[in-house]
Amino acid sequence: MGKTLLEIQGLKKSYGRKEGETKALNGVSFQVLEGEFLGIMGSSGSGKTTLLNCIATMIKPTEGKILLSGEDIGRFKGKKLAQFRGKEIGYLFQDFELLDNLTVEENILLPSAIHGDSRKQAENKCMELAHYLEMQDVLDKFPSQISGGQKQRAAAARALISQPKILLADEPTGALDSHSAKKLLEKINGVCKDFKTTVMMVTHDANAASYCSRILFIQDGVIFHELRRQLPEESQSDFYRRILEVTAALGGGSANVL
Amino acid sequence: MKKRAIRKDFYVEIRKSLGRFLSIFFIVAMGVAFFSGIRAGEPDMRYSGDAYFDRNNVMDLRVIGSLGLTEKDIEALEKTEGVERAEPGYSADMLLNVEGNHKVLHVASILEDMNKYTVEEGRMPEKSGECLMDGDFLKAHGFKIGDKITLSSGTKDAVTETLKTDTFEIVGSGSSSMYFTYARGSSTVGNGEVSGFIGVLPEDFGLEAYTECYVSVKDAKALTAFTSRYNAKVEKVQENIEAIADEQGKRRADEIRDEAKAELADAREELENGKKEAEEKLTDAKKQIDDGEKQLQEGKNQLEKANQELQNGKNKLYASQKEIDAAKKEISNGWSQYNAAKKEFDAQEAAFKEQYDAGMAEIAKGEEELTKAWDAFYSQKSEYDKGVAALEQAKELLAKLLASLESGALPPEQVPEIQAKADALKTEIAEKEPVLQAAGQQIEAAKAALEQKQQEADIQFAEAKKQLEQGQAAIETGRQQLEASRQKLVSGEEQAKKGQQQIDAGWSKIREGEKQKTESEALIAENEEKLAQAKEEYEQGKAEADQEIHDGEEKIKDAQLEINKIENAQWYVQDRSALPEYTGFGDNADRIRAIAKVFPILFFIVAALISLTTMTRMVEEQRTQIGTLKALGYGKLSIAGKYLNYALLATVGGSVFGVLFGEKIFPYIIVNAYKIMYTHVPDIVIPYNWEYGIMAAGAAILCTGLATFLACYKELASQPAVLMRPPAPKQGKRVFLERIPFIWKHLSFIWKSTIRNLIRYKKRFFMTVFGIGGCMALMIVGFGLRDSIFAIGKLQYGELQLYDGMVILDTDAEEEDRQEPIEYLSSEKAVSTVMEGYLKKVEISKGDEQREVYLSVPANLEDNKKFQVYRNRITKKEFNLEENSVIITEKAAKLLDLKKGDKITLDGQDGNKTELQVTDICENYMEHYLYISPETYKKIYGEDMEPNTVYFKMKEFNKQELKKIGENILNKRGALNVTYTYNIQSQLDDMLESLDIVIVVLIISAGLLAFVVLYNLNNINITERKRELATIKVLGFYDKEVSAYVLRENILLTIIGVVVGIALGSILHRFVIVTVEIDSVMFTRIIENISFVLSAALTCMFSFLVNAVMYFKLKKIDMVESLKSVE
Repeated sequence: MGKTLLEIQGLKKSYGRKEGETKALNGVSFQVLEGEFLGIMGSSGSGKTTLLNCIATMIKPTEGKILLSGEDIGRFKGKKLAQFRGKEIGYLFQDFELLDNLTVEENILLPSAIHGDSRKQAENKCMELAHYLEMQDVLDKFPSQISGGQKQRAAAARALISQPKILLADEPTGALDSHSAKKLLEKINGVCKDFKTTVMMVTHDANAASYCSRILFIQDGVIFHELRRQLPEESQSDFYRRILEVTAALGGGSANVL
Repeated sequence: MKKRAIRKDFYVEIRKSLGRFLSIFFIVAMGVAFFSGIRAGEPDMRYSGDAYFDRNNVMDLRVIGSLGLTEKDIEALEKTEGVERAEPGYSADMLLNVEGNHKVLHVASILEDMNKYTVEEGRMPEKSGECLMDGDFLKAHGFKIGDKITLSSGTKDAVTETLKTDTFEIVGSGSSSMYFTYARGSSTVGNGEVSGFIGVLPEDFGLEAYTECYVSVKDAKALTAFTSRYNAKVEKVQENIEAIADEQGKRRADEIRDEAKAELADAREELENGKKEAEEKLTDAKKQIDDGEKQLQEGKNQLEKANQELQNGKNKLYASQKEIDAAKKEISNGWSQYNAAKKEFDAQEAAFKEQYDAGMAEIAKGEEELTKAWDAFYSQKSEYDKGVAALEQAKELLAKLLASLESGALPPEQVPEIQAKADALKTEIAEKEPVLQAAGQQIEAAKAALEQKQQEADIQFAEAKKQLEQGQAAIETGRQQLEASRQKLVSGEEQAKKGQQQIDAGWSKIREGEKQKTESEALIAENEEKLAQAKEEYEQGKAEADQEIHDGEEKIKDAQLEINKIENAQWYVQDRSALPEYTGFGDNADRIRAIAKVFPILFFIVAALISLTTMTRMVEEQRTQIGTLKALGYGKLSIAGKYLNYALLATVGGSVFGVLFGEKIFPYIIVNAYKIMYTHVPDIVIPYNWEYGIMAAGAAILCTGLATFLACYKELASQPAVLMRPPAPKQGKRVFLERIPFIWKHLSFIWKSTIRNLIRYKKRFFMTVFGIGGCMALMIVGFGLRDSIFAIGKLQYGELQLYDGMVILDTDAEEEDRQEPIEYLSSEKAVSTVMEGYLKKVEISKGDEQREVYLSVPANLEDNKKFQVYRNRITKKEFNLEENSVIITEKAAKLLDLKKGDKITLDGQDGNKTELQVTDICENYMEHYLYISPETYKKIYGEDMEPNTVYFKMKEFNKQELKKIGENILNKRGALNVTYTYNIQSQLDDMLESLDIVIVVLIISAGLLAFVVLYNLNNINITERKRELATIKVLGFYDKEVSAYVLRENILLTIIGVVVGIALGSILHRFVIVTVEIDSVMFTRIIENISFVLSAALTCMFSFLVNAVMYFKLKKIDMVESLKSVE
């Protein structure tokens, strides 16, 4: 499918000191291709969020390299780092993290505003995204005035406005009802396809994961399984079933997964 | 079990949130420390002062007797109830010449027990003639130990009238417990300012009575100075002493009166004796002079007589001279007559001679003629005879011829001729013969005629001769007469000569007399001079004697007057407030209290508010836990208990720490700071003042406790399920600014967010504004205080009261004495204007309110314009003191609640109340004045104003010259005191110096306040908004942008705080000024712009400091931690 956008090499991350040290990631290596919708699944504490945070540069890996378009993001510092965060990646939080005191539109425009993009251009982009995400009517509202789904879509718009190479989503549907979650996932999927944005989504919801084109299963800090959706012949529900199977196999049942 | 879990949770909580715990702990500690510490500063200042007083046995009371105090007085004092000890002493103000300047030294006897000195160098005096010198003075004027100083009195009285010696050796230097600061009080000698003191042994004083007595009050030592209890105690004893004062005063006065009377009697006698003696001496002298005069007069008389005689002789001489002159003149007349006569005679003689000669000549002529005639006759006769003879001859010849012819003998040739001849001869004889005959006849006739004539002539001749002979005789008589008169003249001349000789002899005699006279005159003159001298001496002696007698009499009169004036000795019973700066010390303590009333409270409020927010925040943060606990079935109380205990532990701990720390540190700083002023008060006593500590701690505990309880209460009221969910985030709201699209549109999201944030977190907004505003206000107050006080001197003496010096006249002095200083000033070149006036403290009242003010009446309303400016403080509109004006100063008006047109009452003539209508209220800063015109004065008191004050202005201000003028004025009898305005100004400067400390404390406090508030609030803010901040960080905000996102709010808040602070500060400043200022002073209400600028700058600096700290804190925000979802 296209070339490698992201390459993770032997990523390790441990928390705590010496004794009682927990290894969240213990040597993870994989590649993400351009335009891929990559899901990362694993049980609680398997290290999936740590992996995502490492890629988002919110934490620094203890060992290993993360290369985005061949650049080692671990070496970014200061302005470059901030620029990387603002331009190269988009981040979708589980709890949306919209600024309460800005309207939806302002929230969306925030990344572009800080990096001095042309306001007009950004506004156009915002309108486009709003239209795409079906949320033009809530642009003027404050986050507290809209539903969870709308909030996450707004967050998505915010994450996408600076046209990142990769959209990192951390349990984006975690705080949403199933309807809103479905709608959001469809939109993300659409974004992935229509905007050719690479998406990397951490989830433990098999349903959500079934939107992905590829799923990495992480357990105890290592990738222990990989699922690839056979497109286009494999239906989403088939894929979903396959995912369930894997999760059931993981640690002896879905109870552990969920 | 439950409880244990809770307890454990509690300790874990503290350990977990140690930062928060400590933050409350320290904020409370700081608030309490400030509150109790600065409050304690006031009593601690008093304690420190008191410790100093107690240690040095500083008197409680001082009794000064107007007539001195005797042993009997001291005994009486000792017996007075409440008096523990009464120690008598001496003191006097003397002058010491220090490089040409006369410095006033207060010479005091060293007391046995009280008012101790502290020796800094050398030792205390041990024997007479030694002194301990004021250490400050010694240093300031370069004296050394071992130096000898010689004092002068500065008055007519000699030093030795007061002291036994005027020379003292400096054996030590040190401080006296009577002086706390550099101020040494005022004096009536020299320039009126005491510059230093020396302590000497009492025996060095030569006074018959003690000048003062120091009293310590029983049990007063146990009480703290400057407290009302101490004051009450001392006051009571003061009253007791005052109660015996009259009696003692009378006794003392009687004593002195008797003594003085005896002395006066002695003096009188002495004077009388002296008078007598002088009179005798004078009389003697007078007599001698009179004798001398008499003698002189006699001599003069003699001289006069001699002179007279001489004059007479002269006159006589003149007369005889005149006579002689007359005689001489007569003689000379005689001579001239004689000469004339002689001349006449000579002329006559000559004439006669001529006549005679003429006669003789005539006679001779006649004779001659006769002779001639005779001659002629004879000649004729002879001729005739000749003729006759010739004829005869001719006849004979003829005859011969004829004969010859006839003879014809003759040749023939001759015969013709002889014939011719004989024919001629015959013809001639023929012719001549007749003629001869006629002639013979004529001759005969002529002869007859001649004979007749001869005869006649002879008769005539004889007659003439007779006449001539007669003339000759007459002439001879004339000659004889002449000769006689000549003889007479010659003898007259001889007589005159003789007379002249006599006169000349007389003259020479007179000359001799005159010489004698001159000599005697010289002698007389000499004697006269001697006499005059003697007289002059006598006059002088007399005048001297008179003067002496007069002086003596005057002295006696004065003494008599003085004795009459000895009314009864007045006792002045003074408490410590009579000591220089004692009251100032108390006032400063009061000022600290006034400040302590405001600032620590401000601080305290902030501390309370901060712990309140922190606790509220904590409770809010832990709502999930609360919910869980609640769900688990814990009671409300035990849940709330955790937080309450947490808060209480922090608060109580903080309070105890704050009290322990604050009550030591702050009073130490304050007392120590005031030591700059009170150089000689080394004691710092800072005990714990529990009441302030308890007050502060109680308030702190109550505040936080209540706040925590309320916060818990709010949370606990909710259902556990609600609590277990995160709190609904605060809704974003549109702010009013959004309704102004013009502004809103142009704001970036960041600014929009900032503004919305500010308004969203109202609590934080108000607290920050309050904190910053408080900081700003504190500083404005600090600087403003300085401005307000600094301006007083400049305004009062630079713009309102324009005199350089003021002389208080002695109203008891004689009129002429009082004129002296005025005349001196008017004649002094350096002085430009002089004005007399009347100045007296009077009590005025409005309703029940009373105030003491200075009644000031300028002698001349026109001159007054040069000395006093009346104006409205706010409008600066000036007005004049007119005849009917009644102008009162602003502070007095305020204290009495007076407005223009209100009426005031004052005691007028004979104590009758007089009402006056206030016409104007004028700007004034020091003291209270009521200005009226002399006319109004007359209306009130029914008599003309009698000036008791002289104001003067220098042409060009020169301190040295002014002091010199002051000294000269004080030398005049009529002047009591001279006050210089620059002096008051320097006092103000001192006041400012002590205020600088307060300002520094204020600024530091303000800085701390700003820092604490900002830091804490920022901390809360950042914690609260960690997610938000982490989000924007993830969204790609630079560190700086993230900081700016937060700090922008701080900056805005700082700006708003500064603006609020300006308002708050101005109000607070006004309040503090009014609280701090003493009744007699009005501080200006001015805050200079620079003070605002400085305060704002400092506030911003503090804010910036906090922001800098925050920046690093923000940089460290852990995004993952912050964004962890709330489970």
